[in-house]
Amino acid sequence: MSGEYEGYLAVGGALFILGALGFLTRRNLILMMLSAELMLHGVSLTFVTFGRLHNTLEGQAFTIFILTIAACEAGLALALILALYQKVRSLDIQVWSELREPDLPSPKSTNERADPPAPEDVRHFPRLTPAGRAPEMHEGAPQPPVNGRVDGVPQEIGVR
Amino acid sequence: MNWLQQNGWQAAALVLMALGICALMPRARTRSRTLGLLLAFAGTAIALWLLPTPAGLIAHSVLFWLFAASAILCGVLMITSRNPVYAALWFALVTLATCGLFLLQQAAFLAAATIIVYAGAIIVTFLFVIMLAQQAGATAYDQHSHHVVLASVGAFVLFGALLATLRSDAWPAARPPEEAAVIEPALAQNGLSRTHGADGKMQSLGRSLFGDYLYAVELAGTVLLVASIGAIAIAPRRSQGTL
Repeated sequence: MSGEYEGYLAVGGALFILGALGFLTRRNLILMMLSAELMLHGVSLTFVTFGRLHNTLEGQAFTIFILTIAACEAGLALALILALYQKVRSLDIQVWSELREPDLPSPKSTNERADPPAPEDVRHFPRLTPAGRAPEMHEGAPQPPVNGRVDGVPQEIGVR
Repeated sequence: MNWLQQNGWQAAALVLMALGICALMPRARTRSRTLGLLLAFAGTAIALWLLPTPAGLIAHSVLFWLFAASAILCGVLMITSRNPVYAALWFALVTLATCGLFLLQQAAFLAAATIIVYAGAIIVTFLFVIMLAQQAGATAYDQHSHHVVLASVGAFVLFGALLATLRSDAWPAARPPEEAAVIEPALAQNGLSRTHGADGKMQSLGRSLFGDYLYAVELAGTVLLVASIGAIAIAPRRSQGTL
């Protein structure tokens, strides 16, 4: 590959990697959102570079759509972060690692973690009565008469 | 040994960058900021030096090195800063450097739009939220980070794989500009789409957006409307308590 585009692709990959690293390691909700935006920058740079490599405008058009979606995502995510902050007064992601409602008991309590007791009265329902002639299940059994004839030739139909 | 001779510098650069980020990440004990910055800077410098020099004007090359190094270093400082306000400001610098790289690739409208949307809208919204939600200054959860070593190893293994792919020879040659008319727009053939190449003009980008991607532009506008209505619906009201 010619060296003209490789540098841009490497910088795009580096920005994506740094964003992923920040998203994985940091605990602040706002910093995680910023890292996601950094990953979007890397992808945008890669799109523009590939568009220039193939001499089309599709990369730039895609980047404009990425801008649009990034703006939507930032608005929605920041509204969500404000709503979450109002509940617990903290931006720590660890607070939200459990998604249950606070008034419900923890699913890790001992009576729920133990195996459920075996049911005591198991009701046996009656089985269906066999209807019709029982099929022969093995080869050595004498063959039933087919069409009123018994000729000793093993019949394939209806045996298995 | 042969592999080490070919890729040793690359691996050393990646290891230096990973060590620098590990040293810079906030954690319980004291971090050595100078050592981390030095390691990250050395790794970035070696990684950029290993890339092939772009052909063309020397000013182009100098601008590329400048923008690339500032993008990567400001990104490192962004994900390792303890204060979210500083992180947002470093992210603004990353945006500016990325827009410089866009400008170097004849995407002038895209650079301007990215600066306006990111630095003018998104960063300001982030700063507003930080000021609303984190008025107490430094917090405990900003001083710790999760699984730094594991995440660094995973991320830089992925980055090394990307760089190794970039250095391989299985790439097509760049298409010359005179073949641009052959390429048909791949999406959304409608009555307004016409063939064009990337000539760096804003007019052809506008023709591509409102011709080939007409339906997608309308959909994107609808998504923006829905997202703004959703943000207004989700955001806490003053009647539910003050922030």
